[in-house]
Amino acid sequence: MWLGFWLALFGLALGVLIGLNVPLLLPGAYAKYLSVAALAALDSIFGGIRAGMEDTFDNTIFITGFFSNALLAAGLAFAGERLGIDLYLAAVVAFGVRLFQNLAIIRRHLLKK
Amino acid sequence: MRWPTYISITLVALVTGLLLTFQFRVSSRIEQGVPAGRAQELATELHQLDAEISRLQSEVSDLEAKLRQATKGQQQALAAMAGELTKAKIAAGLTAVSGPGIEITLDNPPLLLKTGRPASLYVIRDEDLLRIVNELRGAGAEAVSINGQRIVATSEIRFAAPFINVNLTRIVPPYHVLAIGKTDHLQAAVSIPGGVVEYLKDLGVRVEIQPHDKLTVPAYTGTRQHTYAKPVQSR
Repeated sequence: MWLGFWLALFGLALGVLIGLNVPLLLPGAYAKYLSVAALAALDSIFGGIRAGMEDTFDNTIFITGFFSNALLAAGLAFAGERLGIDLYLAAVVAFGVRLFQNLAIIRRHLLKK
Repeated sequence: MRWPTYISITLVALVTGLLLTFQFRVSSRIEQGVPAGRAQELATELHQLDAEISRLQSEVSDLEAKLRQATKGQQQALAAMAGELTKAKIAAGLTAVSGPGIEITLDNPPLLLKTGRPASLYVIRDEDLLRIVNELRGAGAEAVSINGQRIVATSEIRFAAPFINVNLTRIVPPYHVLAIGKTDHLQAAVSIPGGVVEYLKDLGVRVEIQPHDKLTVPAYTGTRQHTYAKPVQSR
């Protein structure tokens, strides 16, 4: 359990380090899609933590869910932009609601201990 | 937990960190820069301004062509005015002119060798010169001068003993009267029988008339002041 925690912290730090030092920067027009993708990623992570606490954690579901959620959210936002529908709002609402649900469940699990 | 789980956790954390930092950097940059919607707005504005620029450029070239035409007209007007000025100067005697004409030389009666006295007591008077000038003008002389003094509209020929003044300048014999005009007419006008030359010759004055193909009449050199005469505004 603690190994996983430290590994996650290490990966996060590495990602932040790389992200801060990469010279190339996405154009401002793609910031919207990136934000939705980041939100989806956060949702997947909290979903994973919740699953780990409920002892239903499945590595395959976690990893596929993480990437497919992020990519789908960004892709939907992109498609919505092309179609003139603010689909990224839908993604933000959906992922936001799930994020808070997951956080609430994690909080209860932590309190029950 | 098994190893793939650790790997996936690390990977996910790494990607999340990357995404978050990227997003952070991009949005912090956007705050300094131009929003996406504003960029589109500016792009359309740019297009409009480009169209306006081309429109104004065509207008500029159009106006330049008009200006060129206008200045061309101005140059023509300037040339016409310069021509008018030259004509006016010739008419006023303010410029030296040359052309065909006659030269009349008048001198007082010669002194006789024997007695040392003049052959005739007559001396050329201002009226004689006036008559000659009058005849020449009547015969169409375009420019007349006496001893280098151009006869203009305000010129006087007047006796101021013992000299004759022309243009307020003393002139002394022999008198050289230059006249530009049609040579035959001028010559005929002064040498007509019973005319001024015959009359002077009868009085013992030496008169010579010589036609020239080209002679030069000098310009009026005096000052011109119009203190009292002012042009009348014609309606």
